[in-house]
Amino acid sequence: MNKILKFAGKTVGALAAAYAGLFLVFYFDLDGKLLYYVVEPTLIKHYDRMERRDPLAVPYEQIERDYM
Amino acid sequence: MKKPNLKKGIEKLVKADKKKALRDFVYGKPHGERRLGDNYLPKSGLYKHREWRGVKDTMYYFNNIWLYNYGTIVGEVLKHNPILFVKGIWRYRWMGQTYLTVLHWFDRCLEGERDQVLRASAWHLNGLVKACLFQIGGMFDRDIKIGGSETLRDRTMAHDETVWGGVFYPYRDQIDNIPLQMIPYFVTCHCNSHTVLNYIDAAQSIGLPGDPCPMCQAEAGVFVQDDMPDYYRAVITSNEACDGSVGTSVIQDWMMNKPLYAMPQPMRFDDESLVENCAKEIEGAFRFIEEQMGAEFHWDELVKQLEEQNKLQRFEREKWDVAANTKYSPINAPAQALYRIFSSQYGNSYIWHETDARVKKILDKCVEQKINTFPLTRHRAIAWSCAPLYYSALGTWGYNCWGINTIINMDSLMFDMEVRTDSYENTLHDMAVYHEWAPMRRMAVGGLHHVFELWENMEKFNCDFVLMYDQLQCKGMQGCHGLFEDEFRARDINAIWIPHALPDKRTVSRREQRKIISDYMYTVMGEEPLDPSLVDFDDDNSW
Repeated sequence: MNKILKFAGKTVGALAAAYAGLFLVFYFDLDGKLLYYVVEPTLIKHYDRMERRDPLAVPYEQIERDYM
Repeated sequence: MKKPNLKKGIEKLVKADKKKALRDFVYGKPHGERRLGDNYLPKSGLYKHREWRGVKDTMYYFNNIWLYNYGTIVGEVLKHNPILFVKGIWRYRWMGQTYLTVLHWFDRCLEGERDQVLRASAWHLNGLVKACLFQIGGMFDRDIKIGGSETLRDRTMAHDETVWGGVFYPYRDQIDNIPLQMIPYFVTCHCNSHTVLNYIDAAQSIGLPGDPCPMCQAEAGVFVQDDMPDYYRAVITSNEACDGSVGTSVIQDWMMNKPLYAMPQPMRFDDESLVENCAKEIEGAFRFIEEQMGAEFHWDELVKQLEEQNKLQRFEREKWDVAANTKYSPINAPAQALYRIFSSQYGNSYIWHETDARVKKILDKCVEQKINTFPLTRHRAIAWSCAPLYYSALGTWGYNCWGINTIINMDSLMFDMEVRTDSYENTLHDMAVYHEWAPMRRMAVGGLHHVFELWENMEKFNCDFVLMYDQLQCKGMQGCHGLFEDEFRARDINAIWIPHALPDKRTVSRREQRKIISDYMYTVMGEEPLDPSLVDFDDDNSW
């Protein structure tokens, strides 16, 4: 019984700590700061380095068809 | 960034009126004392800390908006293939750079909001998040560039975001339709104004001129950068909103290399014979869908979808009625405008019905209890012409800073009709008219009579103020500038011209727009700001 109570107590405590931690992330806009200063610049570097096809090398073809 | 002075802070705390401090903590500061501008970090627009709105509203924001919407994102991703989502973030700039920052877009749009306005507006934005994820997930599940399903791709059609989703209603029980640009272009501008700049520059990098509408440039640029998922078998394009869009379609057709049906709508649509012509174009689209997808025209499905859409339209009018004739509307300017344009253009979806049901409860409560939702309103404004996509929170700022409450805007009023379902002929006729009344078509390029519907809508919505958007690269609306000037003078209407370049914040920054409004309020109106900290701040590098 004691063990169950201890486990329940620890679970509630962990959940409460996680909830409080999330509130701090929310209140101090830490999600925004992480995205702005770390995630976005990293992703931009990656996108800028990506190899892309040469758009001007794509042939232009037209399929003529009358649907009216 | 200024370092916090602990000693000064403690001294301030000791001297403070304890009762008032406690009241502010529990209920939040009253409007005039909030100094929301002091919360920003310079340039980035990030917050030193998010706004304290009192215990109840702060915890509502934390639990029911911030946590709930992060949860919504996880939940919606799990409905699709999460691995494809990760691949999509890595593959597509518009995805990774934009949509991860969505909660900050909530912050900007909901700044200063309290009580029922906070709740109803947030539900609108939540509906948009769900609708976006529905489309993003749909694209990635089918995108063969990142390993999506070919079977799903083969039952999916793409269409210009300005082709109303209703064209696919007779086939909704057999095939899927996902707009091309709504997610990679349109919504990105609202969430993160940086992303779109790459696409505008990409269009110009292949030698295209820089002076056409930047919306068309950006939409073409997504294809130039090869950043469009390959999720569809065939495409329907449109000349909406104007002939600039035709140019975009030519570039897209070149880069896509897929079967394509162009479905133009007449610009000057008042002539009834043109409606007949437009109806024929829609029937042509039906034939194209049937041939490409092997689908059959199901009249019952069409009627079912249209009836559901008509229900959405009736509720929209109910919201307008409350906003026009009472002080009890709980929906703020960006939530109203974005939800309306997205839902009416995309067409019927279970997401809109769920959202409307939630909002209706709040709306009814406000009306029954006569809750004055925007108590510091000094001016009831109507926003006319197309709005700057990179500043969807302008309406929120206008109210917080100057008490300018934007009641309605032009784009919201476009599709104001129910489609008849009593016979094939009537339905087709109304579908054609609906298409002709699309955003930026009916009142921006649909002829002077329609552009000047401003005056009757000012009266209808009891507005005393016009926020006149001035899209500098829209050749159509630029031609009307002088006519509006004359009318504003003749009618003695207070109107502020707000220049912008639709998605491109480099042409006119948000700060410059705020300065123009503030200068007008100081000098012409002789008014003082409700929140002086919001008059001038630097958010040039913000999302």
